[in-house]
Amino acid sequence: MNIVQSPSAHASVIPSWVGVVAHLHITPRAFLPMQAREEVELIAGEGIVGDRYRIGTEAGFYSDKPEDGRQVTLFESEQLENVRRDHGIELLPEEHRRNVTTRGVALTHLVGQRFRIGPCLLEATRLSIPCRHIEEILDKKVFDPLINRSGLNCRILEGGMVRVGDAIRPA
Amino acid sequence: MARHITLVVAEARAAGPDIRRLVLRDPDGWPLPKIKPGAHVDLDVPGIGLRAYSLMGDPAVADRWVVAVKREAASRGGSAWLHDGLAEGDTIAAAMPRCTFPLADAARHVMIAGGIGVTPFLAMAPVLARNDADWVLHVLHRGPLPCPGDLAPWIESGRAVAHDTRAAPRPSLAALLGAHAPGTHAYACGPQAMLDAFTEATAAWPDGTATIEHFIPPALPPDPTARPYTLVRASTGATVEVQAGGSMAAALLSIGGSVELSCEGGICGACKIRWIEGEPVHRDRILSAAERATHVMACVGGCASDRLVVDA
Repeated sequence: MNIVQSPSAHASVIPSWVGVVAHLHITPRAFLPMQAREEVELIAGEGIVGDRYRIGTEAGFYSDKPEDGRQVTLFESEQLENVRRDHGIELLPEEHRRNVTTRGVALTHLVGQRFRIGPCLLEATRLSIPCRHIEEILDKKVFDPLINRSGLNCRILEGGMVRVGDAIRPA
Repeated sequence: MARHITLVVAEARAAGPDIRRLVLRDPDGWPLPKIKPGAHVDLDVPGIGLRAYSLMGDPAVADRWVVAVKREAASRGGSAWLHDGLAEGDTIAAAMPRCTFPLADAARHVMIAGGIGVTPFLAMAPVLARNDADWVLHVLHRGPLPCPGDLAPWIESGRAVAHDTRAAPRPSLAALLGAHAPGTHAYACGPQAMLDAFTEATAAWPDGTATIEHFIPPALPPDPTARPYTLVRASTGATVEVQAGGSMAAALLSIGGSVELSCEGGICGACKIRWIEGEPVHRDRILSAAERATHVMACVGGCASDRLVVDA
């Protein structure tokens, strides 16, 4: 997270941050590989066009457990590096199965908060949790390594197009 | 259906005696999950359940899976439905493929197939060829070849050798395999009698250098402390025997119990149930000591006593 301080010497220090969209991925149905996209369309109150967890056309592994706050999911690219460092497992951006791979954003700090990703406004509803399902798909023992570092679930308050390279910043 | 892979039959053709070759694709042509050579897939046969078939296509081809199904006279309905009940354009549900018959890290691979047992080796062949490996596939068959179109390039290249046991005496597996040489790995897939002969022929081989394909799900990793027990539903009195290391949640569902499953790793809390009597073994990571006095996580929990009575 890049900390930016107020330029005024007299103003109180107000920490802020800005991150970036590193990767975007979607898949239309459970189990199928995530595919990279340069841009995706977020629909407010629904999800991502073409993704398995868009409300109304849900076809994900957990779609039998409806969740309003799972319209888009995010994952820190830094955690991919941490999993490699701590466990020697190479987990790729298309393998963590979240939609947005971020850089420079402490996602765990955002639960309950609103933030912008490109032109869209998201509200973080809860931390994601890993599931054994991902080990079945990847044939990699990543369940334990992903505990407490498995990303963020969000609701889409304002939709729009999100592109790789877009800024992520507080609302 | 969300917890299945939905596939469309893109192509269905005969491929040898009583054999139907099916090409399965995602309805939109999306890539399918990656597979390993030697993997099999469970196909959901309506009214019957899951039936396992080896995936025989090149694992590098991501947008299709190929299976070949022999019509079995003693079929419980699976192969008959896949022959007669499924047409091009139809959809079928599948589970995530698993590989219980992987390629070994070996310098030389000797493979013995009996009839339709050739299918896993057809997935291994292109991988071995790309790796410039040393390998040979012996196909024992009676009359017409199984999957002749898929075998043809390997027979032409000399990598596969067909042995028609209707035209000539069945070759000795010991002769095909020879004595074990360092770095050699042997594989067999086919009728039980052939597998028995293979086991006998490789009995003196070093451990782990000869493998057989059975369509049996892989066993759970052994837990030295796990033991079998009887699970009892307090509300109905229904009971089910849970094998050592078996899933309490699955057992509970089998007797009509109500349990939610999500992470299946003991951290999400979805499958928390109340226990009433017995000695549960807790393997979750979230329940406090106080909670464990009354509840257990059914996805990972076990039991140290003969019976466990639960309210679910």
